[in-house]
Amino acid sequence: MKVTLNWIKEFLDNYNQNTISPGDIANMLTMSGTEVKKIENTGSKYENIIIGKIVDFTKHPSADKLSLCKVDTGTRIASIVCGAKNFKKGDIVVTALPGAVVNGMTIKENKIRGQISEGMMCSEMELGLSSDSEGIMILDNSFRVGESFSKLAGLDDVVFELEVTPNRPDCLGVIGIAREISALTGIEFKIPEYDLDKRLNIDSNFIIEIEDYNLCPRYTAKIFENITNIQTPLWMRNRLLMCDIRSISLIVDLTNYIMLETGQPLHAFDKDLLHSNKIVVRRAKEGEKIKLIDDSMRILDNDILVIADEKKAVAIAGIMGGKDTEINPDTKNILLEAANFNGPSIMRTSKKIGLRSEASNRFEKKIDPLLTLYAVGRFEDVLNKITGYGIKGCIYDNYKKTERKRNIVLRTDRVVQILGKDIDKNTISRIFTGLKIENRIRDKEIDTIVPSWRYEDLEREIDLIEEIARIYGYDKFDSIPTTVTGRRGKYTGYQKVVREIRQSLCDTGLSEVINYSFYSNDTIKKFKLDLEKEYSDNVEIINPINENFRYLRTTLLPSLLKNVRENINHNIKDIGIFEISKIFKKRSDEDNDILPLEINKIGIILTGKRVQKSWNEEERDTDFYDLKGILEFIYDKYYSNSILKIEESDYKFFHPRINGSIRINGKKMGIIGKIHPLLVMEAEINQDVYYMELNLDDFVNNIRKGKKYKPITSFPAIDIDLAIVVDEEIKNDDIVNEIKKCGSSLLKNVRLFDIYRGPQIEKNKKSMAYSLNFREDSRTLKDIEVEIIVKRILENLGKKFNAKIRE
Amino acid sequence: MDDKEKIDDINKLIDSELINFTRELDNVKSLSELESIKTKYTGKKSFLTVTLRNIGSLPGQLRPIIGNKSNAARKKIEADILKKEQILKGVEYEKKLREENIDLSLPGRGIKAGKKNIISSVIEEIEEIFIGMGFEIAEGPEVETDYYNFEALNTPADHPARSLHDTFFVSDRVLLRTHTSPVQIRYMEKNKPPIFIIVPGKVYRRDYDVTHTPMFTQIEGLVVDKGINFGNLKWTIETFAYEIFGKKRKVRFRPHYFPFTEPSAEVDVSCNICGGKGCRSCSGSGWLEILGAGMVDPNLYKFVGYDPEEVSGFAFGMGIERICMLKYGIDDLRLFFENDLRFIDQF
Repeated sequence: MKVTLNWIKEFLDNYNQNTISPGDIANMLTMSGTEVKKIENTGSKYENIIIGKIVDFTKHPSADKLSLCKVDTGTRIASIVCGAKNFKKGDIVVTALPGAVVNGMTIKENKIRGQISEGMMCSEMELGLSSDSEGIMILDNSFRVGESFSKLAGLDDVVFELEVTPNRPDCLGVIGIAREISALTGIEFKIPEYDLDKRLNIDSNFIIEIEDYNLCPRYTAKIFENITNIQTPLWMRNRLLMCDIRSISLIVDLTNYIMLETGQPLHAFDKDLLHSNKIVVRRAKEGEKIKLIDDSMRILDNDILVIADEKKAVAIAGIMGGKDTEINPDTKNILLEAANFNGPSIMRTSKKIGLRSEASNRFEKKIDPLLTLYAVGRFEDVLNKITGYGIKGCIYDNYKKTERKRNIVLRTDRVVQILGKDIDKNTISRIFTGLKIENRIRDKEIDTIVPSWRYEDLEREIDLIEEIARIYGYDKFDSIPTTVTGRRGKYTGYQKVVREIRQSLCDTGLSEVINYSFYSNDTIKKFKLDLEKEYSDNVEIINPINENFRYLRTTLLPSLLKNVRENINHNIKDIGIFEISKIFKKRSDEDNDILPLEINKIGIILTGKRVQKSWNEEERDTDFYDLKGILEFIYDKYYSNSILKIEESDYKFFHPRINGSIRINGKKMGIIGKIHPLLVMEAEINQDVYYMELNLDDFVNNIRKGKKYKPITSFPAIDIDLAIVVDEEIKNDDIVNEIKKCGSSLLKNVRLFDIYRGPQIEKNKKSMAYSLNFREDSRTLKDIEVEIIVKRILENLGKKFNAKIRE
Repeated sequence: MDDKEKIDDINKLIDSELINFTRELDNVKSLSELESIKTKYTGKKSFLTVTLRNIGSLPGQLRPIIGNKSNAARKKIEADILKKEQILKGVEYEKKLREENIDLSLPGRGIKAGKKNIISSVIEEIEEIFIGMGFEIAEGPEVETDYYNFEALNTPADHPARSLHDTFFVSDRVLLRTHTSPVQIRYMEKNKPPIFIIVPGKVYRRDYDVTHTPMFTQIEGLVVDKGINFGNLKWTIETFAYEIFGKKRKVRFRPHYFPFTEPSAEVDVSCNICGGKGCRSCSGSGWLEILGAGMVDPNLYKFVGYDPEEVSGFAFGMGIERICMLKYGIDDLRLFFENDLRFIDQF
């Protein structure tokens, strides 16, 4: 919201700019909760622009379309070349003298087609006042020649851009801001007062019917007849302009002006276009239609409140008026509406129809119903000053009065408890008085009555404490250390391991990405996730931004593959990235929990070269075992005496054979494989991509606790190398398990160190070479003992796998 | 020639032999030179060897005197040669090592370091600051009920503040949390004061443009105990801000409004670019907003069964991306979720 300093000053008695500068005001407002986002000195834009008078003009000797004007600038007669046609001798014009900046250009004395021009006469557009570029701006005779234009046009002002918090509807107007400044500075707040009560409902020529006072507690209206339709005075147009409101016509401008001033939205109907001498505030009929001022057609329903005449809806209450009854150049008689509507209802409607307005923004925040009458009085006053309409006639007011006074007791002890500072009772009382909160000090308490315009926001003692704190000044409270006795900050075991794993993964060369939790139905289909039990049951967002944000992820795979593609597009082809994020799965109905399952997962994706060509290394493409190595790296860190197994699986997004489930101690904890080449190709990636996803919650929660020291033995070990020839299909895991089974407790370790396929052995066979490490912790092992065990191992491998020892 | 003269004569010869030896040894530069000196002074034809060999031809009373003298000289020579040999060997080994030349400037065998996401790094940095002040880390679901996200946070259905949170819905009652604040309620339901927690996590708002992403990251803080006041809030936030932005920055508390705190504040740090004078980065104000905070609204305690007369507390919340932007001068929010490695690998 924007307000101007001169406007505010109208409601402050004896404000002196020399004692309190606009900067001071901005700072005080900011530091009391109404943040000033921007201060703009509008006057400075109009330096060296003055009021001039065209005393004479002739045609330019060498240009048909130009005129040579003699302009009285107050101190001398200037020669100015002008291209406009709309002026005559004696016209009062806006003259930019050398040094002025117009439309971003500095005006200089120069020659135009051989004639000296000592300035420029400006159009409204050039002055930034409207989009009117037709001819120069002609002013009436009340503007004194030689004076600064900005001063006379009301542009010598300071504009404050404010952020009013939603709890302060009373600050959504100039008067409210003036009241705040008064409370902060002690400058007396003064507004014009109108005695309107005796003119309320003195005739019944016009009827206001309210269907539901909950939705519309008050509707105040006044008829103005035979309006003089003159142009809005320049100062008012400019004031509206400074507050970002376009001038339309005197009546519409006045409704906006009074709204910006009082915070009470007003609407003016062309009374002759209403079909009755009656306004009904009612719920819309289902399917009822209305064309609004913004030319949009709206189809309404029963939840929407409308203003109607006897025939049809003429406005959506609190949001926008209808096109059919709007003020137009022929309007003679108007009906002015100042109503109070139910905030939540306006908010719902505004959301539903997707339309917010200056009015709805104010109503939403629950404005004071006492304002309607004042706004009508103020409108009448200003209108009278401009057109001489007079102060007269009936004010129609339908108001179901509700209590607007509230007593709150403030305990001074409670102030200390919350704020940590003992603020003197008299100081508190002074703050309250400044805020127009009636108060009376008792022993350890202060009785208060809050004013009507703060009725919604000051309900409880704590609300008063906040008022004390913000007016007293947050900067005046000391910082007080909290004590740490009896507690210790720490990560939980889970949190610690997750953070360690993140670091470990970085140490293996992976970088961490963070993706949105969403994906599209297309993605689900493309990755065939709906066909996998583990990855279906997507949680659906009912109001997504667009289809790409329709579902919550059940796997991190699609996002990571997208990251790969986008980085390849940036010519980064060798990629190792991971993400630690939650995935979401709908629960089955019998789970009796409306919230979905949330599981922390780690997704890791690898592609491109794992080893770059270097002066001392050969380059190497990423393969499955690089990814498995990363898995083993984190597995080894947390799992000892455990079994890690990759079980062949058939996930549809993986290569049919390079496709596994990760099991640790038999528990399934994730998946690992090569992404299906067709999926990769579809993503326009021309290299193999490997993916692994680990259930982080399961992985961390199943780590066995309680490691124990085993004494280090000094007895020597015996290493035996063993090479066997087996069929291609035989799996390493099975061989190792068999070796371990027969190896007795003396076999401490089995390590595969070579696989050979080639001319020295049969086709479709491979030679697997293992190094076996034997040791007895309590004595030196004899060769013969080991030989017996090895013999037994070989026999069993022979029986089980038809393995032959490789000579 | 009497015996004495003879002895003197031989002694002189031995002495001069030693002097010659010492002089020559000093000039030896290599093991091969040393070898020839060794032959010259201890070889079969050397003076001392010859003297000792011919000792039998001397009169009996002279033999021990000459013998001892010669042996002593020979031992000294042998010892000196050995010493010299060791020195020369060391020098020559060193010379040989010096011939083993490698280019130390060649790059090492690559171990590529991956990078933690800047968001994770900053979260961890903030966590450490608060752990140091005795806080624990709490977490909560990202898909929430309307109750925890709004209602129990003093924001009933028609509250105007709801329009600030454009919400993603899963159903009427279920939504993507718009802030980490629901964890305040969840944590208080399950724990009794003293409560000192921070809550990092993802949050979601239905907003997508240059300055908004539909998902972003927050850290929430909650302290509830007997005797917690506004001064404690100021101290905690100031301590945090100085840690993360540096001691030279100024911190200011500005009144604001949040439905679930009262009094509420927005906290700014002085702009690091202009030092508080006002510049483009801080839109002329000299201040940069970093977080929202306030004293927990007593109404919240009623939702979790605490006595608001007995305990009091404060809460605060900040956007991690914003902290990252201010800390590292990042000017485009969207970079955080584009996952361009040229961005990620910078931190």
